[in-house]
Amino acid sequence: METAQLTGTRPAEVVRTQGLHRLLVAAIVALLFAGGGFLLHSEAQGEVIALLAAFVAIFVFAERLSAGRRAIALCRAHPGTVNLAAAVSVLAIAAVLREEHYTLLMMATVALFATAAAGLTLQMAFAGVPNFAGAGFFAIGAYVPAVLGGTGIPHLVVLLIAGCAAALLGLAILLPVLRTRGHYAALVTIAFGLLLRSFLEVNDVLGGPQGMKVPAFSLFGLSFARITEIGPYDVSFYLPYALAGCALFALAFFVVRRLETSFVGLAFDAVRSDEVAASVFGLSIARWKATAFLIGNAMIGVAGALYGMMNGFVNPNSANFGDSLIMLSILVLGGFGNLWGAVVASVVILVIPEKLQAIQEYRLVIFALLVIAILRFRPSGLMPRATRDLSALAMGGQR
Amino acid sequence: MSPLLACSGLTMRFGGLTALDSLDIAVGTGETVGLVGPNGSGKTTFFNVLTGLYRPSEGAVRFEASDLFGRSPQEISRAGVARTFQRSRLMLDQTVFDNIALGALGRVDLGLLPALVFRSRFRRDLSALVEKATALTRRFNPHIAASLFKPAGSFTMIDRRRIEICRALIGGPRLLLLDEPSAGMTHEETRHLMDDLLAFREEMPDLAIVLVEHEMDVIRRISDRCVVLNFGRKIFEGAFDALLADPDVQTAYLGGSQ
Repeated sequence: METAQLTGTRPAEVVRTQGLHRLLVAAIVALLFAGGGFLLHSEAQGEVIALLAAFVAIFVFAERLSAGRRAIALCRAHPGTVNLAAAVSVLAIAAVLREEHYTLLMMATVALFATAAAGLTLQMAFAGVPNFAGAGFFAIGAYVPAVLGGTGIPHLVVLLIAGCAAALLGLAILLPVLRTRGHYAALVTIAFGLLLRSFLEVNDVLGGPQGMKVPAFSLFGLSFARITEIGPYDVSFYLPYALAGCALFALAFFVVRRLETSFVGLAFDAVRSDEVAASVFGLSIARWKATAFLIGNAMIGVAGALYGMMNGFVNPNSANFGDSLIMLSILVLGGFGNLWGAVVASVVILVIPEKLQAIQEYRLVIFALLVIAILRFRPSGLMPRATRDLSALAMGGQR
Repeated sequence: MSPLLACSGLTMRFGGLTALDSLDIAVGTGETVGLVGPNGSGKTTFFNVLTGLYRPSEGAVRFEASDLFGRSPQEISRAGVARTFQRSRLMLDQTVFDNIALGALGRVDLGLLPALVFRSRFRRDLSALVEKATALTRRFNPHIAASLFKPAGSFTMIDRRRIEICRALIGGPRLLLLDEPSAGMTHEETRHLMDDLLAFREEMPDLAIVLVEHEMDVIRRISDRCVVLNFGRKIFEGAFDALLADPDVQTAYLGGSQ
């Protein structure tokens, strides 16, 4: 609707090039997602390696050649087209692979970890609040449906409660996090994660070290566990989770992007980059750090709840420090502040080790090396965050 | 008429060191006061105390009708005090607009709802702010106005300083504190910057300015009155011409001759 208004005042030629550009962007996105779908589905080692090589080649091409850089610029200029093409691609992949349990499980896992990474992005990449207890808040989310899942509360509400629970428990360390900076604030969150895990282990109400069963997600009374066919098609148990996970990520993406391109995003960035300047111009450091911390934890909690419902169980080990580090690796690898980067990094970190049997045993070693390499050679990540440009929004507002 | 800013007996101690020693400084509406003194004499400390970054040990700070003694930087900003910094504090990887907008964030709706849901309201505020930033930067350098959405890091030193001054001005302060605007610039650039500032002064006759400067030429051109600090104490107050002839000031700058 808006684009029609915008282009309506322009000469026909411009409209045509714009249309071509959009088509090109959509084709690039569809191609990348198709490759990703293949990678998720592929089992043969040779195929996986070939696909990975192709992705690396595309990446290098996009970085080094002017045509590639133009393609990146084009995609950045048409975010709406990118999002739409991505949504359509995901639906197409899900439709094609509707019966593949394992592939769909991977897809759901990537989507839910990317959602958690969106929460961490708000906290760390925007407001500069460290959070080394991502897996802890994820686990808190998963314990909520374990406790409330059978009580008859609609599961959509349970998801919301899970988000609130994660945010509320995060409140417990809000004060020490706000009063410390840098490494010290990071240590507070690490301590919280460790405490949480020990607490869950000794707490009998929450199942102790064995953890708890989590009921399957049910939407408007329809349990995901009982979905085995849609219309004439047989579908995997994981298909609804893959779709729900992607929908959740889409929602998180929407929230993060809108916050980023608003005065709130400006405030976050100012507080992160220079607390002195931000205070002198009237911003309350505590208010913005707290806002990012709470919203971020809520997102992580909701993602964790759906993840727990998909897996069917949750135990204290879900809150382990290693998983928090994996979430952080996703952020660092993908690019601080870029959610598409978080998706790519989730695939790299969660899927590739499953696919390449040769590296499975060494996955933690390889992550560590990868993160060190990224920090050394490409500190802003595989897909760095773009400079925020509010000009288009401002112009649109004048109409 | 009571002055816009009145500090009396303002003292700032860091442990055993007295950085500001019972300062009495008043600034009237629309007045420009030049603040000079050797390195370490307390000029920047005075700014940091005035903007709430340091909590003063003793004294009183009145700004219009309100008491600003020991207030937070946020409250002081809201009262209408803005400043620039001696060393650039721009976010270089963000656009000029994002940097300048920081100066106005205290005056827009920062709620989550306009950011997430009621976008039309946010966009209206944003358009108004972009227009304001364009008009303001155009006065200082049309090139900045034309490149409002380029990263601040892609500008020259003098333009960055102009951007910092615009950031301080966009919120419509009553009192502007400029901390060595000529630092790190050539004489030529400084002269340009002062021309811009003087031109701007004409349009904002009510704005009071306190200017910390080492360049005597700058002080002479734009200040109505001068205050000289040495070891945190006021050793001179008066017109620029009298400043140079003052024996205390000469001693502070050139060393004692007894």
